[in-house]
Amino acid sequence: MSSVPASAFLALALILFCIGLYGALTKRNTVIVLISIELMLNAVNINLVTFSKYGMAPSITGQVFALFAISVAAAEAAVGLAILISLYRTKKTVNIDEMDTMKN
Amino acid sequence: MMENAWLIPLFPLLSFLILLLFGKRLKEASAYVGILLTLASLVFSILVLFERFSEPTYITKFNWLTIGDLHLTAGFEVNQLNALMLFIVSLVSFLVHTYSKGYMNGDERFPVFYAYLGLFTFAMLGLVISPNLLQTYIFWELVGVGSFLLIGFYYYKEEAKAAAKKAFIMTRIGDVGLFIGMILLFWETKSFEYSAIFAAVDAGAISGTMITLTAILIFIGAVGKSGQFPLHTWLPDAMEGPTPVSALIHAATMVAAGVYLVAALFPLFAASKTALLTIAVIGAFTAIFAASIGLVQTDIKRVLAYSTVSQLGYMMLALGSAGYVAGVFHLMTHAFFKALLFLAAGSVIHAVHTQNIEEMGGLWKKLKFTGPLFLIGTLAISGVPLFSGFFSKDEILIAAWEGGHPILFLLALIAAFMTAFYMFRLFFMVFTGEARGDQKHVHESPNNMTYPMILLGVLAVIAGYVNTPWFGSFLGDWLVDGNPALGHGHIEGPIWIMIAATVVSLAGIYFAYMMYYKRSIARNTISGTGDTLHTILLNKYYVDEFYQLTVVAFTKGLSYFLRFIDVFLVEGLVKGVVGIVQGLGRTGSKMQTGQVQTYGAVAFIGLALLAVIFALTGGYLR
Amino acid sequence: MTFSGEFLAFMGIALVAIIGGVLLLNLTKVVHMVVALIFTFVAIAGIYVLLSAEFVAAVQILIYSGAITIIMLFGIMLTKHDDENEPKTGKWRKILVFLGIVGFAFAVYIGIYNFNIEQVSTALHENNTMQIGKALYSKYIIPFELTSVLLLAALVGSIILAKNEKKGADNE
Repeated sequence: MSSVPASAFLALALILFCIGLYGALTKRNTVIVLISIELMLNAVNINLVTFSKYGMAPSITGQVFALFAISVAAAEAAVGLAILISLYRTKKTVNIDEMDTMKN
Repeated sequence: MMENAWLIPLFPLLSFLILLLFGKRLKEASAYVGILLTLASLVFSILVLFERFSEPTYITKFNWLTIGDLHLTAGFEVNQLNALMLFIVSLVSFLVHTYSKGYMNGDERFPVFYAYLGLFTFAMLGLVISPNLLQTYIFWELVGVGSFLLIGFYYYKEEAKAAAKKAFIMTRIGDVGLFIGMILLFWETKSFEYSAIFAAVDAGAISGTMITLTAILIFIGAVGKSGQFPLHTWLPDAMEGPTPVSALIHAATMVAAGVYLVAALFPLFAASKTALLTIAVIGAFTAIFAASIGLVQTDIKRVLAYSTVSQLGYMMLALGSAGYVAGVFHLMTHAFFKALLFLAAGSVIHAVHTQNIEEMGGLWKKLKFTGPLFLIGTLAISGVPLFSGFFSKDEILIAAWEGGHPILFLLALIAAFMTAFYMFRLFFMVFTGEARGDQKHVHESPNNMTYPMILLGVLAVIAGYVNTPWFGSFLGDWLVDGNPALGHGHIEGPIWIMIAATVVSLAGIYFAYMMYYKRSIARNTISGTGDTLHTILLNKYYVDEFYQLTVVAFTKGLSYFLRFIDVFLVEGLVKGVVGIVQGLGRTGSKMQTGQVQTYGAVAFIGLALLAVIFALTGGYLR
Repeated sequence: MTFSGEFLAFMGIALVAIIGGVLLLNLTKVVHMVVALIFTFVAIAGIYVLLSAEFVAAVQILIYSGAITIIMLFGIMLTKHDDENEPKTGKWRKILVFLGIVGFAFAVYIGIYNFNIEQVSTALHENNTMQIGKALYSKYIIPFELTSVLLLAALVGSIILAKNEKKGADNE
């Protein structure tokens, strides 16, 4: 049996999630915001894998789901960056404050 | 035919709607729409009336509202009284429609006038075929609206505006009484149906006190509409409306609605001695009270208005003395001769363009039709034998005597004397003697004004013969047929009553003749201009002033106080709330920066707050 | 609690991950931030190994430390970053967001603290990759294929989005 309790992994995931969240909500640079979101996704993946080992009914499913989440995250990063580039082309900046077209 | 009686009120409604929509385009032709549709009503009414002579009462109703196990119905009923009222109302309405074509000619709002007439006629016809109190009340209020619009037709005149408002408010006061009475009756009997109410009264299901209370409350409604003392002051003021309107509203229809209501609910009133006595006393008092004011008025329409109030008092006296037939009979004859008098007065006004009788005189030769017709009306209202008013007034006097009210009988007799006197004073001052005003362009009215008057003149003479002591009391027997609660068709009275009535009315005419024609009795014999008595009468016993000083002043004070509350308290509150909301809105709109990150931050902080609260309180799990 | 080797390994890896995260927040240069994040990603792969998920750990290193970080670096290089002139986020907002996150972390921590499940011995570490392969190609075959569709759509979508519409304009 493992000597590291499940709650330790969960706590680590929580800390990483909070760091990602803080970055996503306060950073001005759009690239950093995207990276922070990736970090949040990673924290979630840790949770999935942790429960796949320490959950009520341990099985391989958690890991499979983590794989799916990783592939979706990869796709999201690609698309997000594409949007960022096209936005940058029209606005000439990556500052998130300038992206307020929703106002009008 | 009777099953189609519901069509009768719909014709004027149709006229109202057509004129409302197309009145501007139809212009003068709108008169024909109104006349034709009311003629249709009249024809139907006559057919219904004749059918009702031979067939029993027709009543039909359908469920209108169901609340729990309560069923409110709507429908119509054709009993004797309703059929008679249908005939009277549609006849007078038709004649007034015809007459107005000449009288209102050239008025800018000609189609509007006809539209209002249609609305009013609809309401009145609807009122008289209602089979239950609720429906009656609805039409009762509609009648009030119609009269408000018609009296205030010349809305650019301050007096007309004030008169319309006054009429509406004064009748509303009465309506409140009617409404309370109606609700109390409903509470007691769980039904608005006339038949159910009468059955409950018959079976003794309602206590005596309650019957008296409801009867008097309903009578208050009738007091308001029929211009009885003390709510009579609106009626003379309502003369500011066009003269055909006066003929329609103040002769046959709206003011008769109160009498009709008492007659329709007669079994209820008959069950309470106190209620009957109240009606009789108020009726008799109003009769003599209004007649005495009529003695000195100088406005031709106001004299007629006060005579109307006085005659309505007569009808109430008759109903209050258990003389159901006498009251309804007088309602009918009065409708004819008073409509005639008003139309004739309108014709006079049309000719000389003034309403002051001091400026008239010597019109007999110039108005070949109007003069004799006015004389017929005057003779009828004065109760001269062989005219219709004689028979109906006689019935009332007998009813009062037999009802055991000698004092009221005496009052009625004096009022009859006064009526004869002031009506002939009016006649002599208008039609005989020297011309006192500018009368260069006096001419007889056009045909469509004289024909209705001629028809009414004929009716004013012969209408009385349907119920006479000599040729049988056909109307009376028919009215009470199958309904013992209404009393006898004809009340036998001592012969001296008839003689006394005749003598009294002839005496009135004689005095008027001596004073205003022969001038052998000076006009100030009893009381000259400026005397106390004369001043009091001229100012109508200061009733208006009394109201002004008490009720109106109190209401005004109260309303000023309430206005103060409204301006400083309510408005302050409202403005405060508005300011808060506006400030909030402004702050909120500033927060709409369009930046997704800010939105995200705000949403997340909200979520975090919720999470913390749940974590601390344990959420709903605890 | 015993200080077993596994626990020491967990503590070290977790420390690396958290330090990487904190550096991400505090470094000023964008490129440095991304490099700091690589530490975190690799550390998370270590965590996966501790959780007997070797295959996921390999994928984590391949995709995150490799592909995504490279994409992000491309994004940074393709855009202009004048770090000095960048206006700072409002102080109040930072404090508020921080307070919110502390509250959120507190609330979730209470949940984690109360979380207690009996540990069951598992066979996940035996032939881990084969187990995943079997699951993917039997039970999860439809999501697996759908993922390929999603990846294709993302590929096409990002090409269209990033494509320069004006011919001959700044060709990046």
